[in-house]
Amino acid sequence: MFMQLIASGIAVGSVYALVALGMTVLFRSTTVVNFAHGEFFMLGAFSVLVALQLFGWSYGAALLFAVAALFVVGIAIERGLMRPLQHAPHVSLAMMTVALSFLLRGVARFFYGREVIALPPILEGEPLMLGDVVLLPQDLLIIGFSFLVVLGFYWFFQKTRTGKVVQVASQTPRGALLVGIDVPRLRNVMWGVGAAMGAIAGILIAPSTLVYPDMGGHMLIRGFAAMTLGGFGSLSGAIVGGLALGVLENVIGGYVSSAMVEITAYLVILLVLIARPQGLLGEWRQGRA
Amino acid sequence: MNILQVEGLTVRFGGLVAVNDLSFSVRTGEVFAMMGPNGAGKTTAFDAIGGFVQAAAGAVRFEGKPILGLAPERIAALGIRRTFQNNGILREMTVLENVLTGLELSTPSSLLGVVTGWPAAARAERSAVVRAREMLEQMEIGDLEERAAGDLSFGQQRMVEIARALVAGARLIMLDEPAVGLSPNERLHLGQVLRRLAGTGITVLLVEHVQDLVMAVSDQVLVLNFGRKLVQCPPEEVRQNEEVLEAYLGNG
Amino acid sequence: MTLSTTRPGARERDPAAAARRRALIVLLALLCLLPLAVNNYVQFVVNTMLVYCLVAVGFNVVLGYLGQLAFANAAFFGIGAYAAGLSMVHWGVSGPVGIALGGAAGAVLGFVVGLPALRVKGYYLAIATLAVGELMRWVYVHNDAITFGPGGFSLPELRLLGMTLDETLKYYVFLFVVTLAIAATSLLLRSRFGRAFVAIRNNERAAASLGIDGRRMKILAFVWSGMIVGLGGALFALLNGRVSPDTFGLSQLLMHFAIVMVGGLGSLAGSVIGAVLLTAAPEVFRNLPGLEEIVFSLMLILVIFFMPKGVGGLLSDAFPLLRERLYRRP
Repeated sequence: MFMQLIASGIAVGSVYALVALGMTVLFRSTTVVNFAHGEFFMLGAFSVLVALQLFGWSYGAALLFAVAALFVVGIAIERGLMRPLQHAPHVSLAMMTVALSFLLRGVARFFYGREVIALPPILEGEPLMLGDVVLLPQDLLIIGFSFLVVLGFYWFFQKTRTGKVVQVASQTPRGALLVGIDVPRLRNVMWGVGAAMGAIAGILIAPSTLVYPDMGGHMLIRGFAAMTLGGFGSLSGAIVGGLALGVLENVIGGYVSSAMVEITAYLVILLVLIARPQGLLGEWRQGRA
Repeated sequence: MNILQVEGLTVRFGGLVAVNDLSFSVRTGEVFAMMGPNGAGKTTAFDAIGGFVQAAAGAVRFEGKPILGLAPERIAALGIRRTFQNNGILREMTVLENVLTGLELSTPSSLLGVVTGWPAAARAERSAVVRAREMLEQMEIGDLEERAAGDLSFGQQRMVEIARALVAGARLIMLDEPAVGLSPNERLHLGQVLRRLAGTGITVLLVEHVQDLVMAVSDQVLVLNFGRKLVQCPPEEVRQNEEVLEAYLGNG
Repeated sequence: MTLSTTRPGARERDPAAAARRRALIVLLALLCLLPLAVNNYVQFVVNTMLVYCLVAVGFNVVLGYLGQLAFANAAFFGIGAYAAGLSMVHWGVSGPVGIALGGAAGAVLGFVVGLPALRVKGYYLAIATLAVGELMRWVYVHNDAITFGPGGFSLPELRLLGMTLDETLKYYVFLFVVTLAIAATSLLLRSRFGRAFVAIRNNERAAASLGIDGRRMKILAFVWSGMIVGLGGALFALLNGRVSPDTFGLSQLLMHFAIVMVGGLGSLAGSVIGAVLLTAAPEVFRNLPGLEEIVFSLMLILVIFFMPKGVGGLLSDAFPLLRERLYRRP
């Protein structure tokens, strides 16, 4: 049973890692903690639904649509809501993303009411048996895809020139500006990327969790917990934290009580902040405070 | 009578030694100036004495009591106040409120008294306002009372900060570059205020670059470089000192 | 050296303050006569406004004055409601005792939330306090024996001095509680404590150099905030006669944000105005799903962009007489 819990934990943890990664990307490039990130997750899933049901597109097309749509949404939000508030106090920015979160939730609720809809999995098929462990094809897809995304990120940030430029721009925006890097444009694109990542995470997990307007809020706190556990602001921390959280949830659910799964994330946040605020990989000691 | 004794104060930031085995004493009622090139460690020494930065070694005694390592609030309660180099002003409060905040420890209103509107508490608050106003008048900035502190000129803010530091009757006042940003007239006024303070038995320890002020006002000057004490002597002698000249003109 | 206008022991009479005091007394008198003019339904809405006045005022102490991103307001609200309701159901206490217990529970939770606030700030604190709120809701849902689980519970019939509390009687009780609470908070914020909060918000080092104990003052702000909002939660329970966990989640918090921002951070008068304005609204939007959220969030966004000082700030700028001593400048 233990191995099963670990395996399932890694599957769900990969999604947490993706969410946390998206949030960290946004945080590092714009120093804003995006309380609306869960809604990108939710809108990703809903976009697939809309494309399938309303437009009648194929699954593949719907997926592409969702990712592209959220990329555009991310860019629009940065341009329209975040950029004008660049120099405003933190309270205003935090409130803005909170308000945005509820706005998007309200819109989704307005159109879909109290329905809870199921999304068909991307990979159908029989569960696979690896020794004692049972995994659905969807789980493998999640793990595999997340792994690819993470790999892609590492390659981008560490190996490519653009990636290094992005790192510089986020660490010293003024210096980057001086050297001629288009920092506003970069921020804008990063928001699109972050939103798209949220959407991908939503699409991947929606088949298992069902699609409903509040699914974002649920995921937001998991994302926070992953970031806090791994080390707030650290890309590798987001991944490690996400996986660890997923495993932790499953293990606690399996050995302690299933009711506790829900609050594992909250407890993780509180415990980490009390005992070791910098998390496991503690890179970012003091963000915008 | 030595009101302040510093022995072997050493402060390290990682590998950098900001203050290196610094020792000096300040006599009651003195105006004691610390000078030195930028980065010499003056503000760091201030921070260590005031409890804002941890010292690696050394001892500091105020009126005979050891204070090194105490929290800043405790040190304030013992009778020491300071101003800050990069604005310790409370921007969003008015000038009067800034100075009132200086009376935090001297306003004997309890929480319960305040929220129930107990007359004694209200009286305590009112007399604090009176004291604050008197201090503003003394510093000749009474007309600024209702202005938001963040709106004032740098020089005016300095004055407010000093008024705030003085209002509670502290026995040792530590001023970190009080003359920066002041007009020549304001500097003159500041010098007069400092000498008057010293005359009343209050000890002033200041960090300052502006030589005229230091020379006109101080009883003792200590010159620092690279965290070490170069010389300590009366102001007139500093000018002639070879090492000091080299510190400022040569390697400093 | 003394000023000619101040004799030792003389009482400072500020004409503006005297005028304000008179206006408030008149307002209070008028408010006492209100039930004569309105029907039961409007009375219910007014009672709801009173509840949210407490919510906003309490929130303002921590968010507006102390300036900390503490998002635990819904948690304080919830624990006040649960403490009041459960004590009445399990122990049979009367309404006033229930209210007091609600305030006490809020104060205790305020202390608990205040402790991590000493270690972390900014976004970390925001996230941690959100987690506390959700944790509390889980506790309410999963302890059926005590808290009656996800369905919530109803309060017993409310009686005071032998009379059943109808909307009008509730109004007087609420008015009493709210007036006392706001008066006490106002006194607190105008005193050295309020100054200490703002000092810590502006420049914690400078505040420490003046002898202000940052840790104690932060805890005080949180405990006070928790108490006031907890009182509001208790009143809320009495108002609706029901308590259930889903009331105290993030949607509730959104409303709190909207009220405080519309009213103006750091403005007590603004909090009251914001509460009045925004409680009147939801009735219209209850029917369509999501509409309430959309309206409130849009309002919040618009306020952040165009009116960051809120109504309270605008009024302070327009009428110096109304100027509160310490208002937040964004």
